[in-house]
Amino acid sequence: MTTLTAAPGTSTRDTSTGRVLARACAAEWTRLWTVKATWWFLAAAAVVMLGIGTIAGLEAAGDADPPQGDPAWAVSRISAMPAQFALLALVLLAVTSDYATGGIVPALQWTPRRTVLFVARALVTVGTATVAGVLLAAGSAVAAFTAARPLLRLPVDEGLDVLGTVAVVLAAGAALAVGLGFLLRNAAGGLVTVFLLMLLLPLLLPQFGYEWMTELALVLPGTGAAHLLLGEVPGMTTTSSSVVLAAWAVGAVALGWARLVRDDANR
Amino acid sequence: MIEVRGLTKRYGDVLAVDDLSFDVQPGKVTGFLGPNGAGKSTTMRMMLGLDRPTSGTALVNGRPFAALAEPLREVGALLDPGSVHPGRSGRNHLRVAARTNGIPERRVEQAIELAGLGSAAGRRIKGYSLGMRQRLGIAAALLADPRILVFDEPINGLDLDGVRWIRGLLRRLADEGRTVLVSSHLLSEMQQTADRLVVIGRGRLIADATTDEILRGLGNLQVRVRTSESGPLLAGLQAKGFTAQRVDDNELQVDDTTAEQVGDLAHALQVPVHHLTEVQQSLEHAYIALTSDHVEYHGGRPEETR
Repeated sequence: MTTLTAAPGTSTRDTSTGRVLARACAAEWTRLWTVKATWWFLAAAAVVMLGIGTIAGLEAAGDADPPQGDPAWAVSRISAMPAQFALLALVLLAVTSDYATGGIVPALQWTPRRTVLFVARALVTVGTATVAGVLLAAGSAVAAFTAARPLLRLPVDEGLDVLGTVAVVLAAGAALAVGLGFLLRNAAGGLVTVFLLMLLLPLLLPQFGYEWMTELALVLPGTGAAHLLLGEVPGMTTTSSSVVLAAWAVGAVALGWARLVRDDANR
Repeated sequence: MIEVRGLTKRYGDVLAVDDLSFDVQPGKVTGFLGPNGAGKSTTMRMMLGLDRPTSGTALVNGRPFAALAEPLREVGALLDPGSVHPGRSGRNHLRVAARTNGIPERRVEQAIELAGLGSAAGRRIKGYSLGMRQRLGIAAALLADPRILVFDEPINGLDLDGVRWIRGLLRRLADEGRTVLVSSHLLSEMQQTADRLVVIGRGRLIADATTDEILRGLGNLQVRVRTSESGPLLAGLQAKGFTAQRVDDNELQVDDTTAEQVGDLAHALQVPVHHLTEVQQSLEHAYIALTSDHVEYHGGRPEETR
């Protein structure tokens, strides 16, 4: 055993929680980018956002009554609506693939302090989805601006406003996905739940015409996301939308954390 | 050093691990033996903080595993070699492990070499045989040169070369003064590798002693004798108070005796003997004797163990 040189002294040293968390984050970052699913979902989000941006730009350019000097940022809001689901799926799979493959066993062997693992995974996945979403939203506007040149503008102040909104919506949605992933420990169940909460129920419930269903739709995270991105949801304000999104995100994170910390690793 | 005290795990009505207490000492290979479903894996999972005990404690170096900041530097463990993301390469799997504990990147290459992964390290794990996955798990366990090693059924899926490699590895690790715990249901394997045995059945401790003690304590010598006149010899043996039974027409088995005694008796009876042999009890027999009556031994053995 030439390569194993026993060093018993190393076992007693203490390492600060901050350093353990930083290492766990570095490991999560490597975990995230060493599986193909991450790249596929990121590519899907890129295709949707840049594609919609380009098409919107071309349409504006080909319009018989072309827009004069409209801000290109409007397309970022529209393209973020469908593209967020690719990023939410990225986050959800980053959490649940450990349960599908059994990878949670080595993960907890290497990072047995479960809150540290939870925080690291949440920070890295939510951060990645948010940053990717903001960059792609900017890319979407630039694509529209380029395709329609010189009809559209890219005013900085409105850009900051739009990208800030995209960041809030994606961060809240990604946190919801992290929480659901740790809570349900199942990719299919998590994806279905995210789709129901973020898309289907907010769209469908008001269609039935019952008052209580419409009211229920107003407290779903998808309604908040839709109002912040697209506006035009009756009964919602920016504040109420933000509160609804934040409440779902915090609630899901709390439940997911509780299950990870309390329950057996994967039984 | 691993200390298990009163460890109990209940799943609904099923008591998977029942008030288990034992120590795993450094410098020895300790075999953790029991039939499938005896609670070996559950015990190991509780040692590693994966499952929460219903009651009792398991301490590594005096602390619960789940409290460790740099667990890989203290305990290297291989539980289920299939519990890895199949889409990642072996090298990247080890890189993630290294990052979690602040282990330098060069240790990854050393561990790959040590475990004999070679060029497979660059391939995705989904293409690995079970044997390669075992080697990957062992590479991860050895990554940070820990003083304690816990392997759950490491022989499974390995070819003859791999089995020999594991045996040598376990021996070396123990000889370097490390604490080595290896579970197995392969009794003959444990007979060859383990210095001590912790035997459990249905979640309860059956025996905790050296391998020799267990073999000697239970392995009463048996004698087999082949003769053309088995009838008269059997009658003669039984008349002398031996426990003897017929194996087939020409062969008898005599318990708790030696070849000399049986040979002398045959000579006295003028029975021709064609073959006479002492049978060393294998661990297999000892183990069956232990597990078939585990409640009795559970109460009786602790004094003998120290």
